[in-house]
Amino acid sequence: MIAASELCKQFERTILTEEKGKKKNRKERFYAVDHISFQVEAGEILGILGPNGAGKTTLLRMLGTLMQPTSGTVEIEDRDGKRISDPILIKRAIGYLSGNTKLYHRLSTREMLLMLAEIYDIDKDTAKLRIEEISKVLDMDSFLDNRIEKLSTGQTQRASIARCLIHEPDIYIFDEPTLGLDIISADAIVNFMKEQKEKGKTVLYSTHYLEEAQFLCDRILMIYQGRIIKEGSPESILSECGVTNLRDAFHQVMGEVDAK
Amino acid sequence: MNMKRMTALLKRELRDIMRDKKTLVMMVVVPIILYPLLILGMAFLMNAIVSSQAEKTYLAAFDVNEEAEERLLSILESQEIGYTVRIVESKDYETDLEQENIHVYVKEEEDGTFSLYYLSASDQSATALSAMRTLFSLYKDELTEERIADAGMDVDTLLNPIRYENKDLSSAEESMGNMIGSIMPFFIVTSILLGAIYPAIDVTAGEKERGTLETLLTLPVTNFEMIMSKFLAVSVIACVSAFLNVFSMGGAMVFLVSSSLSQAANLDISIRFETFIPGILFTLVVMTFFALLVTAVCMCTCVFAKSFKEANNYITPVMLIFMFGSYAAMIPDLELSARSAAIPVVNVALLIEGLFKFQYDYGLFAVVLFSNVAYSLLAVMILGKIYNSEAILFSEGLSSVKLFKSRRDMEEKQMPGLGDVILILCIVLLLMFYVGTYAQLKWGFGGVFVQQLLILIVSLLYAWYMKADKRKLFSLEKVKPLQLLGAILFGIGAFLLGLIAGALLTPILSESAQNLEQLDEMIAGVPVGILVLVMAVMPAIGEELLFRGFVMGTLKNRCRPAVAVGVTAVIFAAYHMSLLRFFTVGIIGLGLTIAAYRTGSIAASMTVHFLNNLTSVLISVYPKQMEKALPILFKESLSLSDILLLAAVIIIGLKVGWTLMNKKSLHS
Repeated sequence: MIAASELCKQFERTILTEEKGKKKNRKERFYAVDHISFQVEAGEILGILGPNGAGKTTLLRMLGTLMQPTSGTVEIEDRDGKRISDPILIKRAIGYLSGNTKLYHRLSTREMLLMLAEIYDIDKDTAKLRIEEISKVLDMDSFLDNRIEKLSTGQTQRASIARCLIHEPDIYIFDEPTLGLDIISADAIVNFMKEQKEKGKTVLYSTHYLEEAQFLCDRILMIYQGRIIKEGSPESILSECGVTNLRDAFHQVMGEVDAK
Repeated sequence: MNMKRMTALLKRELRDIMRDKKTLVMMVVVPIILYPLLILGMAFLMNAIVSSQAEKTYLAAFDVNEEAEERLLSILESQEIGYTVRIVESKDYETDLEQENIHVYVKEEEDGTFSLYYLSASDQSATALSAMRTLFSLYKDELTEERIADAGMDVDTLLNPIRYENKDLSSAEESMGNMIGSIMPFFIVTSILLGAIYPAIDVTAGEKERGTLETLLTLPVTNFEMIMSKFLAVSVIACVSAFLNVFSMGGAMVFLVSSSLSQAANLDISIRFETFIPGILFTLVVMTFFALLVTAVCMCTCVFAKSFKEANNYITPVMLIFMFGSYAAMIPDLELSARSAAIPVVNVALLIEGLFKFQYDYGLFAVVLFSNVAYSLLAVMILGKIYNSEAILFSEGLSSVKLFKSRRDMEEKQMPGLGDVILILCIVLLLMFYVGTYAQLKWGFGGVFVQQLLILIVSLLYAWYMKADKRKLFSLEKVKPLQLLGAILFGIGAFLLGLIAGALLTPILSESAQNLEQLDEMIAGVPVGILVLVMAVMPAIGEELLFRGFVMGTLKNRCRPAVAVGVTAVIFAAYHMSLLRFFTVGIIGLGLTIAAYRTGSIAASMTVHFLNNLTSVLISVYPKQMEKALPILFKESLSLSDILLLAAVIIIGLKVGWTLMNKKSLHS
């Protein structure tokens, strides 16, 4: 379980203003994420949808404690049901994957996984066993000892998934994981998320592919200008909007907000 | 900080850096192979040129009278001129010179002058000319001697009425050290820079460019662990690369010097290279400390870049500044002094120069190391702040990077952290060195007043800026009379212990006499009231607020009591910038720190500090009266009963003081 309560993030941006005919650069603070609260349970996949600049990445970064919120809190529940808010402990329970989390090119996949295991405080023998296991599941035996810079895109993607698996996290946060991938690689990721859900893990993911979200997610959060504009299961959103696919629902809800 | 995670990170950084070809080339190939090859290659080339000049036969044509020609030829045959010259015929000397049929042409003009025709544009002709000049100089000497002998005079007394010669008292090692000392600093600074720059870019901008920074941020490590592992990895690489450089270059030089010496064995010079070993060892220590500073500065610069290319642009001016600073060693007569010992880069350059010239001043050595540590800490702290900034980590542009929070954003009643302690100490250090030293040079005793004022203002301002809980931070608590008495007794014990340490150490660390003279000179003619104000009252307030207040107040909140007290005492001792006083003041400082800690009130340590300094002032102003009052402090040698008395006072003072100071906790 992972919960966000009243989560906010303020950034500064420079805007060009005109005062008495003089152009001036003025700094202005704005909310990239504006008081967002929600909770994702174990065995649930939550999809976060929204246009570019809506605040999806910032929200996920705060949930992964990569970024500090301006205000609000992130909490997870550990296996004993205890609530935890320490960033280091939260990071230990999360597998985080995004387009920006690249791998260490100069190491081999095995070396990288061993290094990660050391940081996650997993003893060497357990780590070796786990690497064998993960390698079998993701079919990585053929390239496990090659330097990552020599791997193909699909192989790199599998190595990235392996990176999130080594510490057996309870929560997965995926930021646009299928972006720019071919059908086979994208399906591998989608299947992976489904499997994890069946294992009772918590999955959060953001995407631009609405069809993918429609059949994969248990619940959907639509975000626009840092706020939640719609929340619910795909079915309930469709019936509320009176449309047959998420694409139309998305346009409709966004249009309502813009009209205000 | 979790050591296991830290080691894992460090190992990864090192492995990553070592797998980068650029770093390997800079670190291993260049120093181990290229430099020695270059040096030896140059030397062999020069040798080859010189020996080919000697072996070559130069062609000369003479058009002179018979007698001259005969005598010139006989001198040539004797081979005294050091060149092989063959005489040939020339009909048209201008064409022959042009076509290199001859290299030099000698013609006797009608007035008897010998003209030496040559081509300055041709190297061979120019060498042939110098052969001819030697030849004619020998010929001239021969004629002069003959004429003097013919006139019936003694050749030697006439030509050499006086004799003089040089006697170099410098040993061969000293002259060699002088030479090496002026080049070595530049070379060392450059090699540390070369070793640090690539890995520094690689772990900062390079990591951003490769996109692994966000991956690193998903790991359960603190920013401090992350930054320290990077910093240490780059420092290690910079050190190793600099050591490799120095050893390979040094090895090549030693090889050159000893091979050229063996060629000129008749000169009777031998250099004992082992005399340089202490200097080299100290140099390695300085290099290690300096590598920390270089690494921190390079990383601070590169962290702002988003790519390797951008980082390269940022680092170039930094590199030039460092290299420029190292030129200091090449400036004649510029030596390491109390003033230059705190100027970054310059101090290291001058120190290394001094070490090779066999000038070991341990006090200045300590100051150089200490200031380097302080600068590196400052740079690492800034680095930590930058790395904490999300604007840098997520590349949102530099304009939103904030190194320091504005006072408005500070929380009320907070307590400073270790970073604040480091920062305030660095500020004090820099102010002392630059403003304080300047003030002292300009106004003499007035400068001391300025220094004390600075310390007071800095601690108060810093506490105000961060809205600290001043009462808790500065231990502004009331003290009971009995506790105060305890503190004073404890202070007396510490004071006497400090005196004994001073008496024992002065012969070993002979630096105090000069300092004391300077002090006496400075305070001469200053009214006693002002002396007491500036040298006793102000330090008792300012230094106590800074050390027993800010530093200890922070530390005791964060570390174990023993660590808090110990570290505060060491910092206080180091602040006095003298090796001797490090120990003497260190003991008294430890006493003051314990007094402040045990009574829980800064008033106790202020009182003791005031009394301690007051005693010193009185001793220098009224030595006679003080000697009468406390004769035991002035004795040259102590009798057994004196020693017993002193020991008793110290033990009782410390013991009773210790117990009395704790009254507060007994009551409450």
